[in-house]
Amino acid sequence: MQRRIIFALLAIVVIAVMLIKPRLPITVTDSTRGVYDQIEALDSGAVIMLSFDHEASSLPEIGPIGAAIAEHCFRRGISVVGLALFSEGNALGYDLLSRRAADAGRTYGTDWMYLGFRPQYTAAILGMGENIGDVFATDYNGTPITSFPLGERVRTYDDIALVVSIADGSMPTYWIEYAANRYGEKIIAALSAVMVTSFTPYLESGQLAGILTGLKGAAEYEQLLGIPKAGTRGMAAQSAAHVLIAFLVLWGNVDAWRRRKSDGTKR
Amino acid sequence: MNPLRDRLAIFTATAAGVFMTVQYFVSAPWMDATYRAILSWMQIIFACALIVGIGAVIKNHLTKIQRKPNERYYSVVLLVAVAAMAIAGFTGGIDQGSSFLWVFNHLQAPMQATVFSLLAFYVTSAAFRGFRARSIESAILIGAGLIVLIGRVPIGELLTPHLPSTADWIVNVPALAAKRAILIGIGLGMVATALKVIAGVERTYMGGR
Repeated sequence: MQRRIIFALLAIVVIAVMLIKPRLPITVTDSTRGVYDQIEALDSGAVIMLSFDHEASSLPEIGPIGAAIAEHCFRRGISVVGLALFSEGNALGYDLLSRRAADAGRTYGTDWMYLGFRPQYTAAILGMGENIGDVFATDYNGTPITSFPLGERVRTYDDIALVVSIADGSMPTYWIEYAANRYGEKIIAALSAVMVTSFTPYLESGQLAGILTGLKGAAEYEQLLGIPKAGTRGMAAQSAAHVLIAFLVLWGNVDAWRRRKSDGTKR
Repeated sequence: MNPLRDRLAIFTATAAGVFMTVQYFVSAPWMDATYRAILSWMQIIFACALIVGIGAVIKNHLTKIQRKPNERYYSVVLLVAVAAMAIAGFTGGIDQGSSFLWVFNHLQAPMQATVFSLLAFYVTSAAFRGFRARSIESAILIGAGLIVLIGRVPIGELLTPHLPSTADWIVNVPALAAKRAILIGIGLGMVATALKVIAGVERTYMGGR
């Protein structure tokens, strides 16, 4: 089969499913429920740190996770401190939190704050364990963080209930090594689906407090929040694409087997 | 070669390595102060490295414009984009509603997402062509891959409720065992390399000597 036909098939399947919008049942996994329960168990007024450790390319997959967690926090009255340890995540994280906070009617500086980006993630993560103000003297807009009530409340990891690293790479490893192991901070990794196997050992060992997995994790989280949004919308298209790939693999193998048989050759 | 420079670099690496190891276990006011200072230095050094990096990119593409006529247009686009974003950021700020953020959100992010999404098409094509059961092992691998592929999306549960649990078992038992072994190997390798750097045996960070 020609490559262009495969490309066209995939495009047609995904577009058709997105137009038809079939509703598929989404079962919430223990992993997602565990993260949800931990945030649900926090007192109103607790602080969560959302670290946008990803590039713009993976935004469609893990952006919905960040949106769902921010929504959950703002709904519960939990304050959010945002930051980025990837330069590209910086503007994306600020944009996402700004929109969610505006929708929820939350006030900047009191209910949420965005610290911005710092290079050298190792030093940044370790430095925040000593004093967040040393690493981020000013916020994203250049205002001293101590001029905000939330900035006054948050000095070290002791003042932060949870860190959620929204990542498409290995950044949660550094959060585990430097914030969890050294300062005892609880870390949750919100990952692109391909990274999950890399971080499951940390979950099993108790070094990670939870994992959220790609677009499916976002869909499950939206299910728990009762707000079907981008994650839920993407599930039908993702399912259809996976089924097409599986079908093509099976077809390719049957075709190869038939050819081998007709040629009378064995590999 | 400059023996004095090499010795200075080795001494710095050894001193920093020993200090950072000791301060993890020992708490003293002067150690904590030095530790905090080192963390600040690391940030400053990396911020300077970013400036050096931008300078290198600009220099590299200016050279390309001069020497490679066929590629000069790409380099011009890159340099104009770098300059435009820098000007937009420094003059208009990076706040909500700024031109910097608008360009980032409406041009860079969709463009990168588009390029990334093209992978789905290539993966589909590669899967069709490459996943051939030519042996028992490859058949098992393809079978496991297909179970995880379908079992990890909602339609898998519609087909049979056993599919998601089988997919989870594959990911959480055999795949995890292999991953854990790799991680332990990487961890031991990192410890060995760190010890070699601290001891001055590993010197490739000084330029391959």
